[in-house]
Amino acid sequence: MAVTRSKTRTLLDQLVERLQAGEALLPDTPENLEEVVGILQSYGVVLDAYYRNLLDIAERQFLVLFPFFKYFDGHVTLERLLKHWWHDRINYEYAEYTLRTMMWHGGGGLETYLESEQFIALAHLAIAQKIRLNPGMRLLEGLFPDFLLEQVRQAVYYHVLGQFWQVMSPLFLTLAEAYERGEVRSIPEVVDHVKAGLVAAASQPLVYQVTLDGATYDIIPASAGLTFLADAAIPYVEAIFFRGTPFFGVVSYNAQLQEISNDPSRFTYGALYADPVTTGGAGIPPTLLMQDMRHYLPPYLRQRYLSQTRGEADLRVKICISFQKSMFCVTTATILGLLPYPLDTANPEQRQANHLHLRQWVYRLQDSQVLTWQWV
Amino acid sequence: MLILSGLVWLPSLGALVVALWPGAHARSLALGIAGLNLLLTILVLEHFDPGLAGMQISEQWAWIDALDLTYHLGIDGLSLPLVILNSCLGCIAIYSSDREIPRPRLYYPLLLSLMGFVAGAFLAQNLLLFFLFYELELIPLYLLIAIWGGERRGYAAMKFLIYTAVSGVLVLAAFLGLAWLSGTGSFTYAVLLKHPLPLAAQLVLLSLLLVGFGIKIPLVPFHTWLPDAHVEASTPVSVLLAGVLLKLGTYGLMRFGWGLFGDAWRVVAPGLALWAVVGVLYGSLTAIAQTDMKKMVAYSSIGHMGYILLALAAATPVSLIGTVFQMVSHGLISAQLFLLVGVVYQKTGTRDLGVLRGLLNPERGLPIVGSLMVLGVMASAGIPGMAGFVSEFLVFRGSIAQFPWQTILCILGTGLTSVYFLLLINRAFFGRLPQNWGVLPESTWSERIPALILGLIIVILGVQPGLLVHWSEATLVLPPAALSTLSSFSPWL
Repeated sequence: MAVTRSKTRTLLDQLVERLQAGEALLPDTPENLEEVVGILQSYGVVLDAYYRNLLDIAERQFLVLFPFFKYFDGHVTLERLLKHWWHDRINYEYAEYTLRTMMWHGGGGLETYLESEQFIALAHLAIAQKIRLNPGMRLLEGLFPDFLLEQVRQAVYYHVLGQFWQVMSPLFLTLAEAYERGEVRSIPEVVDHVKAGLVAAASQPLVYQVTLDGATYDIIPASAGLTFLADAAIPYVEAIFFRGTPFFGVVSYNAQLQEISNDPSRFTYGALYADPVTTGGAGIPPTLLMQDMRHYLPPYLRQRYLSQTRGEADLRVKICISFQKSMFCVTTATILGLLPYPLDTANPEQRQANHLHLRQWVYRLQDSQVLTWQWV
Repeated sequence: MLILSGLVWLPSLGALVVALWPGAHARSLALGIAGLNLLLTILVLEHFDPGLAGMQISEQWAWIDALDLTYHLGIDGLSLPLVILNSCLGCIAIYSSDREIPRPRLYYPLLLSLMGFVAGAFLAQNLLLFFLFYELELIPLYLLIAIWGGERRGYAAMKFLIYTAVSGVLVLAAFLGLAWLSGTGSFTYAVLLKHPLPLAAQLVLLSLLLVGFGIKIPLVPFHTWLPDAHVEASTPVSVLLAGVLLKLGTYGLMRFGWGLFGDAWRVVAPGLALWAVVGVLYGSLTAIAQTDMKKMVAYSSIGHMGYILLALAAATPVSLIGTVFQMVSHGLISAQLFLLVGVVYQKTGTRDLGVLRGLLNPERGLPIVGSLMVLGVMASAGIPGMAGFVSEFLVFRGSIAQFPWQTILCILGTGLTSVYFLLLINRAFFGRLPQNWGVLPESTWSERIPALILGLIIVILGVQPGLLVHWSEATLVLPPAALSTLSSFSPWL
């Protein structure tokens, strides 16, 4: 729906008030609830596969330069190989696009840690052990000393994203179970469920070790002080929900006309801004996620999709819309989880600080699809 | 066996059956009759000997002796491809007609009779018989535009009727003059070939034919009826109009203009080549300026007819093959483009290139229709691997020695074809679907299949042009000695 600038501001202010009242960015309707819970259930299943594979690649395929079987989690059989070639499989590539986007945008304590002396020293220990008996890699390390180090940095993002989704996957699956038991009946309750999960895991330490020739090597030791919320969840939300990358097909742009900002902090190509009706062809990264989720839709949601618009033909668009709505719920949980003071504080100064916090986040979303889904 | 008569009278009499058949089976019956007609065409192919240059499978009966009007049909390498085209596009036009079309017991008979009369014109070996069919096809076509056309259908149909009636008068005048001046009083094609006229008489009669058939083709500046007719006509009628009916003009010019007035033809050929250039450039530049998809394709047709005129003007063996190839390939390509424009219009309710956007969207657009449209415009722009390339290559290769500058300017026209069709594709099919459209209805396979079949034929002929050239070569390729004595020799003797 096209709205004027002043009307947009009014609507955004209403959203701030709604958040301050403990509600969500997404309107609380039975349709939205069914869509959000159903899509998060299928997302939970897909994330489970993604995180297992990410952890496997980071731990077991550490510094394997040609990881031909990286999507097989160590179980290479002819049947799986045939299924892989037939593309009867999960699109693990989506997880890799996501971690590379996180790595590119950086943020949190993780980015600082990856440039620290401590990390470089630990990484070199592991590299030395890995290439000890491999003359080719030793030559590579000698010629390009930063190459393998950068590979380790990438492996760290594999592992950190794996750890993040390891928490989020059961969180979404238990949400669906709670919904089916009748314990979740509104969008604010969905937000509460997610927020509770994030808060519970907030201080969980991020650690990463690899085992080489029977010995364990720390890449991120617990002493680095990296934690789930500050160094994985928030950078993830920033990179994937807000900034993203202008994947071909997600947005129509002309780079030569500088339609893409040179400053990544001004990027608005994240999940919350994405146009569900993409302009390009199949195979683009967000489409990969939608393709994966379509296999695990709960029956009630599939039935609903098939009865709408073009049925099966535009299923991925409908999944994308529901997914975007659900991500607004996750974003609400993050925004509320990061409030400087309790939401129900009676202190006027604290309420003002909360208001400013909410206003800042909501106004950042003014060019996102948040207003689109207020009427749909 | 009267197979040629079958091609004329099966659809024409079938039209009567459809009109009188009780119940609501008009579409199925018409489709069945068109299918039978197609089978009959295949039977003609069976009996046709591609190694022979002259007329084959002749059927002849006296009719009105006093006028030398004989019912004389025959087929050669020039008419065969056009007869096949007529049968194929007839089937496609009936199949792609709206299933809920009002007054189906009038609509389908008109389509069938149109097919029959056009086949009659391509097969007629008597000039008066040709003229009869040439005029008869106006009746169903006029009614098809006037009854099932768009908002301004009355105006478009009347304009079409007036223009083509004038065309008929001029053609008849040329035929009467020919019979009279030849001293034979005969309208039999084979007889007239043996009695060449003096150059001055040829020039006068050829001028009449050039204007007469020039209206039908249409050549600039006699073209103004065509865009109106296309815009107002329904999709199946546009398919037949662009695919087959315009070819009556080019066929007439080739059969009667070049065939009967060889001396005069050589005199006016440089002028014709220049006329071709004007047509190509005018058609292409005007197409660039269009915002209505259908008008753009219509002006594209006007431009593409210029290539046929250029090749005819050059009249070399290669260019003559190019002429026939261009007639067929243009028939297929323009039919496909009109079909696709029809689907776009049906789904979006507009043909305005200022409004259409993002139709190639894989989820909510018309991706298969868009892909076929890309194929169609590539073929029209002469991209290698498709029929349009072969025909344009033959035309240019055959004409460049005779008319180098005119040919180069026409080659420039193919570049302009790419320009306007890229504009069409870019505006209508790329970008984001307009948000205020809601969800477009999906195109069905029954809507895609006709364009898909045409696309397949376009690619097959592009890769294996011999499949078409094979049937026409003996008729069209003359030995050099024969070319120098064109006035006394014709490939159709």
